[in-house]
Amino acid sequence: MGWIRQNWTLFSILVLALSAGWIVFTPPNTGGGKASAPGEGFRAPDFELQDASGQIVRLSDLRGRPVLLNLWASWCSPCKAEMPAMQKVYETYAPSGFTILAVNTTYQDDRANALAFAKNLGLTFPLLFDSDGNVARQYRVNAMPTTFFIDSKGIIRRVVFGGPMPEALLRAEIEKMLKEETP
Amino acid sequence: MLPILHIGPLALPTAQLIMLLGFWLGLELAEKQAHHFRTSPAQIYHLTLIGLAAGLAGARLTYATRTPSAFLASPLNLLAPRPEMLDPAGGWAAAALAILVTMRIRRLPLWPSLDALTTLLAVLAVTLGLAHFASGEAFGAPTQALWGIELWGERRHPTQIYETLAALLAAAAVWPGRRAAVLSAQAGRAGLRFWVFMGLGAAARIFIESFRGDSIILLGSFRQAQVIAWFVLAICLWQIGQRLGQQHQAVPEEKPPHEPISSI
Repeated sequence: MGWIRQNWTLFSILVLALSAGWIVFTPPNTGGGKASAPGEGFRAPDFELQDASGQIVRLSDLRGRPVLLNLWASWCSPCKAEMPAMQKVYETYAPSGFTILAVNTTYQDDRANALAFAKNLGLTFPLLFDSDGNVARQYRVNAMPTTFFIDSKGIIRRVVFGGPMPEALLRAEIEKMLKEETP
Repeated sequence: MLPILHIGPLALPTAQLIMLLGFWLGLELAEKQAHHFRTSPAQIYHLTLIGLAAGLAGARLTYATRTPSAFLASPLNLLAPRPEMLDPAGGWAAAALAILVTMRIRRLPLWPSLDALTTLLAVLAVTLGLAHFASGEAFGAPTQALWGIELWGERRHPTQIYETLAALLAAAAVWPGRRAAVLSAQAGRAGLRFWVFMGLGAAARIFIESFRGDSIILLGSFRQAQVIAWFVLAICLWQIGQRLGQQHQAVPEEKPPHEPISSI
């Protein structure tokens, strides 16, 4: 320790040189992006579900468009409270290519209740039904609602647990994704 | 990984809860240890609260300025209690600025105050590692190492554990009673504890970042966090050197002139 104190300048140069060497000679590893996982920076796990009209909707078919994936239930008050804001932003940003997939966790909910709620509120974005809970398992949902902002490359940019989400949060995250898309 | 903690009907975000507990514990300890650095607990308490309030406001405003149109449509959402709408970099910058301005206005001594606040920073650094472990953020690169953990569908470096251990070591190095803390309390060396802690943190970041799987890459081959940490480390080494140098200059002045006994 005594030597270090007396030769502080030399010690500092040595530490900075070793650190610079470590930075230069350890190549960057990026674990996100390529792998598929329900976390920020990862590729969104793909799935296909039926919508209200019985048509199959596949997430990977929406590649090239920013997607808001919202997992919800009709018995969950915060889920219902954030739906009007979601409808509002859907109307604003749908012409720019943005879309919403509202996945009802039907395995723990009632399909008729979910449909009635959507009709009452006049929701126009796609409503999907996760009857066997596969999507909820894939996305490790353990709080209602859970929302994933997925960019046009299929990468999860933001995960929001719980609700209701403020309209500004929805707008800010959607605008960020749309901006990144613009060359 | 435990992102959500279920307590009865409540679903609480674990990472935020850990950070809140860390803040409370850090503030308690910083107040208790304030006297080691010739500051008062009340002074530390007020500085921390001002820093917290400014940090939260700064984090929210920075987030809002990135997409102002989103908030123009619903300005009241600026007050929404959502942690997702906070920008950490803007928050830290605002907190630091508010603390420095408060010190200047109240004429508080800068370095002893920062030495005392280092306790809070040390506890927050440890809890940040634990919060990352709970949320799965700041994850590691894929590895075949025996100590790797299963996270996000792959075996990965447990970088959150590395981060926590490094923070614990840095905290232990500057804890009251240790050399850096004792020296910091001496005349001419105030601030040593703060800079030693910051330097150890920067060195740890440079080392651990190489095992991260979520680094932001600069110029195709450099990790942004490492480059920033390298500059921080350089500043810390310089500042530590200044304080150690002051000791050598101070020693002859502090000692009485050596007179031969025969002259008395």
